[in-house]
Amino acid sequence: MTEAIQNVANPQIEVKDLNLWYGEKQALKNINIRIPKNSVTAFIGPSGCGKSTFIRCLNRMNDLIKSCRIEGEVSIEGKDIYGPGVDVVDLRKQVGMVFQKPNPFPMSIYDNIAYGPRIHGVNKKDIEGVVEHALRSAALWDEISDRIRSPAFSLSGGQQQRLCIARTMAVKPEIILFDEPCSALDPISTAKIEELIMNLKKDYTIVIVTHNMQQAARISDYTAFFLMGELIEFGKTRQIFENPGEKSTEDYITGRFG
Amino acid sequence: MFNRNYKEKTIESMLFVVSALTVFILFLICLFLFRDGLTLFEDVPFLSFVTGKFWYPTSVNAQFGLLPLFLGSLVVTAGAILFSVPLGVASAIFISELANPKVADFLKPFVEILAGVPSVVYGFFGLVVLVPFIRETFNLATGQTALAGSIMLGIMALPTIISISEDAISSVPGSLKQGSLALGATRWQTIYKVTVPAALSGISAAVMLGMGRAIGETMTVMMVTGNTAVIPSFPGGVLDPVRTMTATIALEMGEVPQGSDHFHALFAVGSVLFIVTFLINLLADAIKKKYRFKVD
Repeated sequence: MTEAIQNVANPQIEVKDLNLWYGEKQALKNINIRIPKNSVTAFIGPSGCGKSTFIRCLNRMNDLIKSCRIEGEVSIEGKDIYGPGVDVVDLRKQVGMVFQKPNPFPMSIYDNIAYGPRIHGVNKKDIEGVVEHALRSAALWDEISDRIRSPAFSLSGGQQQRLCIARTMAVKPEIILFDEPCSALDPISTAKIEELIMNLKKDYTIVIVTHNMQQAARISDYTAFFLMGELIEFGKTRQIFENPGEKSTEDYITGRFG
Repeated sequence: MFNRNYKEKTIESMLFVVSALTVFILFLICLFLFRDGLTLFEDVPFLSFVTGKFWYPTSVNAQFGLLPLFLGSLVVTAGAILFSVPLGVASAIFISELANPKVADFLKPFVEILAGVPSVVYGFFGLVVLVPFIRETFNLATGQTALAGSIMLGIMALPTIISISEDAISSVPGSLKQGSLALGATRWQTIYKVTVPAALSGISAAVMLGMGRAIGETMTVMMVTGNTAVIPSFPGGVLDPVRTMTATIALEMGEVPQGSDHFHALFAVGSVLFIVTFLINLLADAIKKKYRFKVD
């Protein structure tokens, strides 16, 4: 594992000795990881292993949970995001997030995408271009360009999820976190999202939590295996799947538990 | 097996009878109210009742004009809504989104206790505190004005507006709020651009129900509005005494000879009141249903 960490030169996200507690219960133990730029990194592991908790540390969504306490360091582009004087608003602009279930706002498709740019004060006349660009990047434009003013709820589940991805991109982040983005979708929609994620990595650094090992194997460059709040193993996806260094990784990947 | 079926059927039909009874009682009230109300129009033309500008029920040439009473109710209620909606919605936002849970747990029951205070107590408070205050502040002959009624009714409508809006706001899915925050929105931007718009149907229903409560309120308005049956002028009339439909019925019903035109006129006023509140409730229900939030 140490070897893998050192292999990653120039990490965009660097986590050092991260510990996290919910009240008395420790949910993450001594996490150290370096995630490279313009790559797809998958977090895998059984339910309750801490992978979703960990991904939420990267844009400080855990701040919303009152009982949550964090120690350690999370640096993005060399800057500690838990350090003093960090503005979470700026951080979340830089680190976008797509959730497990599509969560479009109850407004039109257009307004959903324009929401982010509007709150960040993008010029009114530029917004239309931003919206179109985001929809094109999310491979949604061709399907819905004629009904961009209709409610977002009129889209199918898979389209809603791509809308949420477009909405995230409209804010122009550098990193996009995906928290099990396909768990509520059918296989065809899932395939579209996977394809999209692979295309996105040339512009963004992608971190994805997934329950689906085949998905991790298909789309990621790096894989991190979590178990009981610990990062068991991290390395190139190929290596993790074909030649895991730890017994528990192998057991999980071959379906012996989880 | 047979026995259990039999038992369930019995319970089912008992519950049916009970709920049917409620509807039946409502039906009887309608029948009773409208029968006596409609009798008025045998002696007084319908139009002169609805558009009549004078309510002189006991003079020799009795006149039964609805307008002063209807407008009286309207002014007092509109004032109450103007006053209680911003306050109520703001409180609801505070309780559900901003307050620390311990404070919210403390505030909510108190808001609900407000709803339990008897209306005569509100009236008493209004009469002793608010009415003299208005008289002195605006330098009036009497403080018993539409304004006093509006403020008191506004306070009384607050618990309804707050608790129903609060329910609507806190039932907005957390995933929406998280989605907004994850885009780098501040807590406040999230509240006014996502949470409140998503809860708007529930908030509108809350406003409607608060309005229904205000329009039907009797004792408090009777005690603080002066009860002068004249058409209120606008906008100065806010500082004049007015008389609402409810107060009229309550004041005059005791002394009216049964079966007289006056008696029937009061029933006609009651019918109007019934129809108005019924429509408001219907509208509140329709809003709630139509825009019910479609994300599970």
